[in-house]
Amino acid sequence: MTVVPAQQSGGGGTSGLYDVLELILDRGIVIDAFIRVSLVGIEILKIDVRVVIASVDTYLRFAEACNRLDLEAGPRKEPGLPDLVGEITESGARGKSKGVLSGAAETVSDAFRQARGEGQSEERPRARKTTSSRKKEEQE
Amino acid sequence: MSTYVYGISARSHPALPEGMGGVGDPAFPVRVLEEGELAAIVSDAPEGLRPKRRDLLAHQNVLDEVGAGGPVLPMRFGSVAPDDPAVTGVLAERGEHYRERLGALDGKVEYNVKATHDEEAVLHRVMGENPELRALTEANRQAGGGTYEDRLRLGEMVVAAVQTREAEDAAEVQRVLEPAATAVSVGPDSTGWLANVSFLVDRRSAEVFLAAVDEVRESHPHIELRVNGPLPPYSFVEPGPSQPAEPREASTWD
Repeated sequence: MTVVPAQQSGGGGTSGLYDVLELILDRGIVIDAFIRVSLVGIEILKIDVRVVIASVDTYLRFAEACNRLDLEAGPRKEPGLPDLVGEITESGARGKSKGVLSGAAETVSDAFRQARGEGQSEERPRARKTTSSRKKEEQE
Repeated sequence: MSTYVYGISARSHPALPEGMGGVGDPAFPVRVLEEGELAAIVSDAPEGLRPKRRDLLAHQNVLDEVGAGGPVLPMRFGSVAPDDPAVTGVLAERGEHYRERLGALDGKVEYNVKATHDEEAVLHRVMGENPELRALTEANRQAGGGTYEDRLRLGEMVVAAVQTREAEDAAEVQRVLEPAATAVSVGPDSTGWLANVSFLVDRRSAEVFLAAVDEVRESHPHIELRVNGPLPPYSFVEPGPSQPAEPREASTWD
């Protein structure tokens, strides 16, 4: 059988595991006659919210991000021009932290919700750095 | 001793990973239980099994190994039967269904695609599309950042624009990739991705699928795609799209 080169990990490594966690825990065959391990206390809990949530905090962060964005682009460069977008995506933004979006809030997948009551309070990340390590994985 | 079940395959599978390390510490060796034309990939189950990284990886690695040699129906993590006869009993009882699934999934693998926005790129994009946002941003800048109300107003508009983009881009990702797959299963949507979709792909045409992924990346540079695969077909073990195990709570951002 042909092995097709994957662009990302096939799940064998830890980074791959992180990305396919909800498949391992939430998909696959379930047989009623078998016991299923409780998900309470699962180690790997934190899944960043990477979509944007409407809240005052988010609004203020985005306003700030827009402010920074303009400053970085410089007064002569019209933000949003296709070449500018391309250039930034190629060279700069891919390696940068995504502070605003990833800092929006925290949630966990439904599979982990049960565990939140126990571990959430001390695990709630406010300032998040995990996206930078993810970025490295993506660039591999 | 109870029996941990990794997955179900065909007895004719050429290379079931008998003896490979499975769950537990130290790892229990993988065994094969045969029943009719089917084979269950199992090991002893550790006492007090929990969803720990090590065991999740073991589950995934065993299934990867089986999947590399032939079709496999992955079990959800943490499935423990009372004993070996209970496993072969289920194979006998539901054999027809499992054989049908193994046939349907023969030569097919799952690719999971998760999409997010590149923050800076998507901000540039929405600003570029919306002169009003640019004007507001510029006005705030001139005013040294703007008043609290100014910033709130700008932020709210930007957030709305980005959210609209998220929905559009989720649909776009699926639209471009779907033709390169034989089935699609939308993943749990509460994990914070603007799109989380699994595609069932024929191994032989995986390159076509991956080319479609590259196409999205090139044509939509503000979308970041994380592609994981080839994976055992977790999301396609049941006919039709997999159903969630339990009723979902409303997403936090709904």
